[in-house]
Amino acid sequence: MADPMHQFQIHKVVDLPTVNLPGLGVVDLSITNSVVSMGMAAGLICVFFALAARQAVVPGRLQSVGEMLYSLVDDLAGSIIGHEGKVFFPFVFTLFSFILAMNFLGMFLVFTATSQLAVTVTLAMLTILTVVVVGFARNGFGFFKLFVPSGVPAFLLILMVPIEIISFLVRPVTLALRLFGNMIGGHVVLKIFAGFIISLGLLASGGGIASLGYLGSAVSLGSVVALTALEFIVAFLQAFVFAALTCVYLNDVVNLHSH
Amino acid sequence: MANETTQTHESTGADGHASGGGLPQFQFVWWPGQVVWLLLIFVVLYVLLSKLFLPRVGGTIQTRADKIAADVAQARDLKTQAEAESATALAELAKARTHAQRTASEAKAKANAEAATRQAAEEAVLAEKLAVAEDRIRVSRDAALGNVRTIASDIAAAITDKLTGVAATADEVETALTAAKA
Repeated sequence: MADPMHQFQIHKVVDLPTVNLPGLGVVDLSITNSVVSMGMAAGLICVFFALAARQAVVPGRLQSVGEMLYSLVDDLAGSIIGHEGKVFFPFVFTLFSFILAMNFLGMFLVFTATSQLAVTVTLAMLTILTVVVVGFARNGFGFFKLFVPSGVPAFLLILMVPIEIISFLVRPVTLALRLFGNMIGGHVVLKIFAGFIISLGLLASGGGIASLGYLGSAVSLGSVVALTALEFIVAFLQAFVFAALTCVYLNDVVNLHSH
Repeated sequence: MANETTQTHESTGADGHASGGGLPQFQFVWWPGQVVWLLLIFVVLYVLLSKLFLPRVGGTIQTRADKIAADVAQARDLKTQAEAESATALAELAKARTHAQRTASEAKAKANAEAATRQAAEEAVLAEKLAVAEDRIRVSRDAALGNVRTIASDIAAAITDKLTGVAATADEVETALTAAKA
C-alpha cells in the first residue's frame, strides 16, 4: 500500500540558486511542487477573471460565476465589517480566491498547497499581521482596548484581560491549523480508502474466505466517491471560513470603538 | 547559518524518506522557500485582483444595478404618464358623453316641440275643416227643414184639391200649417 503521506512530500521541480534575503538569511528559492501548485492556483484565478470579467450587462455563465464569487465575498465583508468593508474587500477576496483555487487544484492534481503547514501558517500570519497593522493604524494604542471588554467590573478584568490576550494570540494558530487539518485529513483519508480498494482486492484474489475482500474493496470505492464529494464541499467551505474569520478579526479592530 | 545546517541534515533525511516517521510538512527545510514564494505570489495576485479584475467585475455589477434602477425608474415614469393620459382620456370621454347626451336631449326637445306645433297646426286645420263641414251640414239641414214646409203645403194643397175639388189657397194652407205646427 502506498504511503498516504507521500502526496505531501515536497521535491524540487526547478533548481534555482539560493538567495540571501535581508533579514531572512539564505533562502533556497528553488521551484518546488508546492510553489508550482501555488503558481498554478494564482494563474488559474487570473485566467478565470481574464475570461469572466466581461462587462456584459446580461452575463454569460462564466461571468455569472465570477460575479457570484465577487458578491459572495463583497456581502461577507459588507455584512461583517460594515461600510468600511470595501477597503478590505480586495484583501479578503484575494485570500478567499487563492485558498479556494489551491484547495480545488488539490482535488484534481496530486499536490495540495494548502495541506502544507508552511502555506497555511504564512496565510494566517499574513492575516493576523494585517489585523494588527490595521488595528494600530486606526486606533493607535487604543488597539489594546481590544483586550479590555467594556462593561465588565474591574475585578473581573484581572481574569478577562489574560483570556482575551490568549484568545487573540491563538487566532493565527487556529486559522492555520483549521485549514491545514481539514486539507491534510481529507486527502489522507481519501488516499487510505483508495489504498484499501487495491489491497483488499489483491487479498480477495487469493480465494476462499478472503473473497469477502471484494466486498470491502467495493465499500472502499463507494467511500472514496462519497468522500471526494465531501472534500469538494470542504475545499469551498474552508476557503469561505478563512475569509469570514479574516473579516471578523478585521471588524474587531476597524470598529473597535463600538465594542 | 543554523538554517543551512538543518537544510543539509534534513535533505539527506528527506531524500531517504522511507523512514515514514513524521509528516512531510514538518521538514522545515522547505519552509523558507514556500513562505517567500507564497508571499510573492500573494502580492502579485493581490495587485492584479485589486487593480485590474475586481474593479472590472464590481464596475459591471454597479453598471447593471444602475441600469436596472434607471430602467425601473423609466418604466415607473412611463406608467405614471400613461396613467395620467388614461385619466385625461377618461375625462374627455366623460365630457364627450355629457355633450352627446345634452345634444341628444336638446334634439329630442326640439323634435318634440316641432311635433307639437305641427300637431297643433294640423289640429287647427282639422278643426277648421270640421267647422266648415258642420256649417254645411247645418245649412243642408236647415234647407231640408225649409223644404219640408213647402212639401207639406204642396201636399196639403194637393190633398184638398183631391178631396174638395177646390185647391186651398196658399194663405189657408199657410195658416193651417202654422196652426198644426203649434
